[in-house]
Amino acid sequence: MAEKNNMQVEAHDKASELDRKLRVDNYTPNFDPSKEPLLRVEHLKQYFKSTKAVDDVSFNIRKGEVFGLVGESGCGKTTTGRSIIGLYPLTDGDVYFRGKRIGMGADAVKRWKQKLAEAKAAGDTAAVAALNEDRVVHKDLMTKIQMIFQDPVGSLDPRMTVREIIAEGLKIRGIRDKQFIDDRVSEVLEKVGLVPEHAERYPHEFSGGQRQRIGIARAIVLQPDLIIADEPISALDVSIQAQVINLMNDLRDEMGLTIMFIAHDLSVVKYFSDRIGVMYFGRMVELADSDELFAHPLHPYTRSLLSAIPLPDPNYEKRRKRITYVPALSHDYTEEGPEFKEVIPGHFVLCNTAECEKYRKEVADIDANAARKQ
Amino acid sequence: MAKKLEVKNLIISFRTNNGTVKAVRNISFDLERGETLAIVGESGSGKSVTARAIMGILAKNALPEGGEIIYDGQDLMKIDEEDFHKIRGNRISMIFQDPLSSLNPIVRIGKQLTEAMILNGKANQREAKRVYNDKIKLLASEMKEAGVADVDSKFKIFNNVTDDGSKTERDYLYNRERIESMVKNIDGALIDSIDKEPKVVAAEMKRIIKDSHNIYNPFLIKEGDAELHGLLAELQNAIPAYRKEGSHEQTDEILRKMREPLQAALDLPKPDFYAMAYCKLSNAMPEFNGDIDQLNAQMKQTFNEQFLNDFRESVGAGLKNSNDKAFSKKSVIVESLDTALSRMKEGERIDLKVAKEEAKKCSTMIEDSLDRLSIHKDSVAYTFKSSINAAVDTYQEALKVEKKRHLNRNQKLFKDRMDIDLYQNNIRLDMIRARDSFQEQLGSAEQLNYEELSDEMVEFLCDEASKREHEVTKRKAQIRAIELMEEVGIPKARERYRQYPFEFSGGMRQRIVIAIALAANPDILICDEPTTALDVTIQAQILELINKLKVERKLSIIFITHDLGVVANMADKIAVMYAGKIVEYGTADELFYEPAHPYTWALLASMPDLDTKEKLDAIPGTPPNMIFPPQGDAFAERNKYAMQIDLEEQPPMFKITDTHYAATWLLHPDAPKVEPPKIVTDRIERMKKLNEENGGEING
Repeated sequence: MAEKNNMQVEAHDKASELDRKLRVDNYTPNFDPSKEPLLRVEHLKQYFKSTKAVDDVSFNIRKGEVFGLVGESGCGKTTTGRSIIGLYPLTDGDVYFRGKRIGMGADAVKRWKQKLAEAKAAGDTAAVAALNEDRVVHKDLMTKIQMIFQDPVGSLDPRMTVREIIAEGLKIRGIRDKQFIDDRVSEVLEKVGLVPEHAERYPHEFSGGQRQRIGIARAIVLQPDLIIADEPISALDVSIQAQVINLMNDLRDEMGLTIMFIAHDLSVVKYFSDRIGVMYFGRMVELADSDELFAHPLHPYTRSLLSAIPLPDPNYEKRRKRITYVPALSHDYTEEGPEFKEVIPGHFVLCNTAECEKYRKEVADIDANAARKQ
Repeated sequence: MAKKLEVKNLIISFRTNNGTVKAVRNISFDLERGETLAIVGESGSGKSVTARAIMGILAKNALPEGGEIIYDGQDLMKIDEEDFHKIRGNRISMIFQDPLSSLNPIVRIGKQLTEAMILNGKANQREAKRVYNDKIKLLASEMKEAGVADVDSKFKIFNNVTDDGSKTERDYLYNRERIESMVKNIDGALIDSIDKEPKVVAAEMKRIIKDSHNIYNPFLIKEGDAELHGLLAELQNAIPAYRKEGSHEQTDEILRKMREPLQAALDLPKPDFYAMAYCKLSNAMPEFNGDIDQLNAQMKQTFNEQFLNDFRESVGAGLKNSNDKAFSKKSVIVESLDTALSRMKEGERIDLKVAKEEAKKCSTMIEDSLDRLSIHKDSVAYTFKSSINAAVDTYQEALKVEKKRHLNRNQKLFKDRMDIDLYQNNIRLDMIRARDSFQEQLGSAEQLNYEELSDEMVEFLCDEASKREHEVTKRKAQIRAIELMEEVGIPKARERYRQYPFEFSGGMRQRIVIAIALAANPDILICDEPTTALDVTIQAQILELINKLKVERKLSIIFITHDLGVVANMADKIAVMYAGKIVEYGTADELFYEPAHPYTWALLASMPDLDTKEKLDAIPGTPPNMIFPPQGDAFAERNKYAMQIDLEEQPPMFKITDTHYAATWLLHPDAPKVEPPKIVTDRIERMKKLNEENGGEING
């Protein structure tokens, strides 16, 4: 009897040890979410030969929030997500996760070398040490960022069972304990609304919505801090879309997840996200809290995007006038090029000084109008 | 408004290894001219299957179990493939979901746009030749039977006239086409000279000069027209200077001057080539003094007096002979159809042998009686054979299944029983329809006017003769294709005509697909999720384009989507489909402001809009397995408002207003009063308020 108890205690200890192995705090004990953003992306550039897929994009994601990224297809929003997670070698820029570097662009390395040489020449040992520490890329932290892909059919290996698909990440992390893996797989399957019996089946036996749930289960099994969801619902039926959104919302509350939500459907992004970044041709053109963005859309591209949303309201649709965005007509950047500026606190727009003034005035006008109406 | 398309009680199943999937279960709707009908539903609800049935492109394992799709007096479910070729693509066109896979990646856009035009043109030519020869042969033999004198010599003259006339006409049209192309090129060059490099524009000008070799025709621009020749020479001389210096004023001036006589030539009336051919043959050609109308009148007089009046009379005699023969046969057919129907009484199980026998007898008789000379084909008589054979075949199949079912009574294998009553009724219906139509024809036999008919016949023959020579050239197709590309909003169409699909963005590609669908000028356009693969801004553009084309061309559109938001702007009427049935049908306003079916509520509640804050009402579960469709309301399982009766019996379509129907027991007078989910009522409330505010602003 005692022996059995001992075994149980041992098993429990082992499980909690493995559990600890998966926890993030071990890697970054000094991280304080109240002071620092969870993810910091600075001047990210991703060029494919001559194509500037992502061109100088900077943003922060705070712990626990949902950050929405919208834009038309080909504007670089998926590339941004994939660059962060290290699927492409960065051209330029820095990516920090929980205060530690997880990505460094080729050009950034060049700059770093120059700085290091300068610091060494000046004999500044503190600066040299700081630079050296900054150069370390913490690849192991990357497991705490997981991705959910758009295509629920293409992203699951048809020759693996659901258990193998979900457990693959754990195995790569070096966990060999079968019992532990089985427990975790059953646990996440229940979390995403499937049953443990589903673990023995193959992906083709599931419907589209269920497959997307498996994709989500695979992402959360490693207890990530940040999930990059790349258009997770656009391949699903309307009735299933709501199920998946609700599931992601529940998981977020339950597990304290931070989500980077990439989509082109603005109504869904508005519903789901706390802050929204709008991208156009590789550049971030506007970034604000979601209510703020919809109350004061400032950049002409954001306005054209908002004017294109169809709503289930025939009378509104008859009135709706679509605004077209033609960069050459909307901006005059002959004298001063645009920069990413904070127009009002927390609301950033890509503009030059003159435009910035104009936008500030517009915000005041809109607010005054709204106040008058009330 | 006229009904363009009627779908009545359509039932389609698919045979699969696991059993028969009931994809479409008894749906009916109609589509009027210039109207958009949206069909909304989840994947697997049968919306695409309906569209494919209308296009006649159902998969091989499809089993059309019943119903009619009536277009232009024909039932598309019954006509054979040969006849469908004339409708599919030409009269009813379809746009598919994925703009990537509907274009050929290694063929230039221009080729893909013009391919069908050119191929169709060639096929039409062959067809016209065949029709012309057949008709002439038949007509001659009928005329001989009717005792008309000198039939052969009359036809010899007529053949010569059509031969010569159509050839002269072809030459005339060829020259005219060149002039048209020149005018187009001049317009293009005038626009391009503003912002293009002189090199490019100069090449265009050279093309204009090259075209000018083939424009001379006595009835358009006379050979040796001094003014035009002068202008052309001037242009030729001005090009090198333009290429060097780049100032386009001088060349523009010349081009503008040149355009005037060309446009004037295009506005001239068309000579009557058939009369002209006769006059030439009989050496009675009147003098041409430049006035084409006068020439036409003179030639026509000669033609009528010397040949055509007499010829028409003989044709009339031939037609009467043929018609009389057909009618004598038709009265026999009506009798035999009556006997056939008396052998297959209503309400009794039809004996398969009798059905087969009668079907064969009647269809051979009807086939024999066809009046092959009449220009307007009698659709009932022409489709009788295929339609009755199909009906008998399905009946036989149903009987077989029924028999097996009896043998294996204990096994549940043959759960999918086929509706025998329906099939045997189909046989009777086909016969009754044929009988009624023949009776009607017999009744109106007295009123036939053979003078009119023979006029029509001669005109028809002349038309076929010119169609025989009418070639859709590459150039003609190109002009038309570029016009189409401009119509669907592709900028710089003349350049993009030569590009490959990969050089286009997704939205542009979808526009090309729309242009291809429009190339044959269809009546009905079926759009199967045309914007699902596109993002918001492009989607908005494509929807606007489809709306614009609908108004301009008076298209009737069937728009299939799973996104209710998209159709608010597009649809006049909306049909919501679930599990193969239409659950709600109404105008866009009714459906969005007063939705009645729980499934429509659920769809509306499950998508967030810009003001949604609360948790979304997701529809739990997945659609039912359509191999074993639920006994009651198919949506009952996922419906939180479901009552006991929903699980037991299928609800009928309840009428709410004249245009608004819904299939839910909630509308039954005895049902408890249920409010739609809060998220929906709130939104409707908000929309109404917003409308009042805006309406007030407009009025005030």
